[in-house]
Formats: sequence, C-alpha cells, structure tokens
Amino acid sequence: MTELDNIIHQPIRLRIMSALVALEHGGQMDFIFLRNLLKATDGNLGAHLEKLEGAGYIRIEKTFVAKKPRTFISVSDKGRDAFIQHIAALKLIIKTSKG
Amino acid sequence: MDKLNGENAQESLAAIENIMKQTRKAIASSHANSLLILWGVIWVVNNTVLQFYPDYAHYISWGFVAVGMFGTFLIHHISHTEPSIRSESRLRIGRRILCSWILLYAYVFIWLAMLAPFNGLQINAVCSTAAMFAYILIGLWVGSYFMVWLGLAVTAMTLIGFYFIPHYYCLWMAFTGGGTILCTGLYIRLRWR
Repeated sequence: MTELDNIIHQPIRLRIMSALVALEHGGQMDFIFLRNLLKATDGNLGAHLEKLEGAGYIRIEKTFVAKKPRTFISVSDKGRDAFIQHIAALKLIIKTSKG
Repeated sequence: MDKLNGENAQESLAAIENIMKQTRKAIASSHANSLLILWGVIWVVNNTVLQFYPDYAHYISWGFVAVGMFGTFLIHHISHTEPSIRSESRLRIGRRILCSWILLYAYVFIWLAMLAPFNGLQINAVCSTAAMFAYILIGLWVGSYFMVWLGLAVTAMTLIGFYFIPHYYCLWMAFTGGGTILCTGLYIRLRWR
C-alpha cells in the first residue's frame, strides 16, 4: 500500500525534494541557489539536507568552481521514487476523503 | 506522523506544485533576465540615437550590435563557468539556442543583401521582427509562453510603428519595443526569484 514518507513529509524537506525533482535526471542544484529559492537559512537547510542524504534520497557534491568552494545537490533514483510514492499517497488520501 | 486529512494532503500537493513551478521559473530566469535587460537597453539607446542622427545609422547600429554580441557572449560565459544548475541537456539546449541566433541573423543578412536596396526603416523593422520571430520559436520549443507573448507584442508594435508612424518609428521602437524587452527582463529579475 502507498504510504506517506516520514522523511519527505516534513515541510522544508518536502520543498527541498520538490525543487530537486523539478530538475531533469542527473541535474545538480547549487546550495546557494536552493537556499535563495526556499528562503531558508544556511544552518536550517544544511541540517535538512543531511537528513535527506542520510536516507539516500539526495547526493551532495562539494567541489571547486573557478577556485571557489561550491556545493551541488542532486536527487538520487531512490529519492525520486520515494517522492513519487509520497505524491501517490497524498493523492490517495484526497481521493479517500472525497469518498 | 499525525494523520493527514484530505485538506492537509491537498495543501501539501499545492506546496509541491508551487515550489516546482518556482524552481523552473528561477532556472529559466537565471540568465534570461540579464540578456533581456542588456538587449532592452540596447534597443532603447540605439533607436533613440537613430531617431536624432539618422545619417550615422550604419555606424550606430553596428556599434550597438557589437556591444550586444559582446555582452551576450559574456553572460553565456559567466553562466557556463559559474552555473547555479549543472545539467547536460541545459548546456546542450543553450548551445543550440546560441547557434540558432547566429544562423538566423546570417540568413537575415543574406536576404537583405539579395533584396537590397533598403532604407534604414525597413532594415530596422526586418531585424526587429526577425529577433521577435526567434523569441516566439524559442518560447514554443522550450515551453516558455512569456517569450511567445513578448515576441508577438513587440512584433505588433513594430508593425504599428512601421505602417502608421514612420517619421517617429525609431523613437516609437525605443520606448515600446526596447521598453517592453527591458521591463520584461526587470520583471523576471524581481518577481521570479
């Protein structure tokens, strides 16, 4: 049965996953771009990203671009599947509530 | 986890849809707004100067086109070396769009050379509508309808200026054509982020 995902369901993590899933397969988003998009603080965003990374839903790559440190984030296949399942669960709840 | 009811689930879905839409807009606007602002300013200044110094039209226009081309390459270079989004297909699409612009203007140049002689007004209108034709095509291909509407609106303004107010055509194009492109760029920069 399709169930809500406890990790994704938290509001900020849901927004993070939504933003990352909007990219195509293999696409990576810069940490600062994501922070500005979600209007989150560095610390808060970092903590939620760690949680998602721990679950294997996202990948975090720290690198240097033009000699500046940059962090790029992408959604994993596992994360994309979990997100799709989560949406299916939400739709099921809506359908059930309508009878 | 607390039990969700239908209303909460609906809110969650709406939040997901909203952030996905915002993400796509933010990605689309990341460099498009800079390009629109650049070319909007060039249209405004170029056409205003042309209105008052028509005898130097040839030098003025080529000068501004050169500035615009340099600025465009600079913006593409920055977006390539310091990207906010890294994606193979995005890079591929960007290269194709750049090639399409170069090809379009190469063909416009060929057509103008074949159909010459033209007056300055006709050349300006052909180049303006060719650029808007490209906006509409790119908008249709990438699913960006604001580009389609922008292209159609500026084309309509070009035709109005060309047929109804030829004596003030350049000034008209500076404020309506250039102004529309500039305002769109500013709107995207301020509202889509």
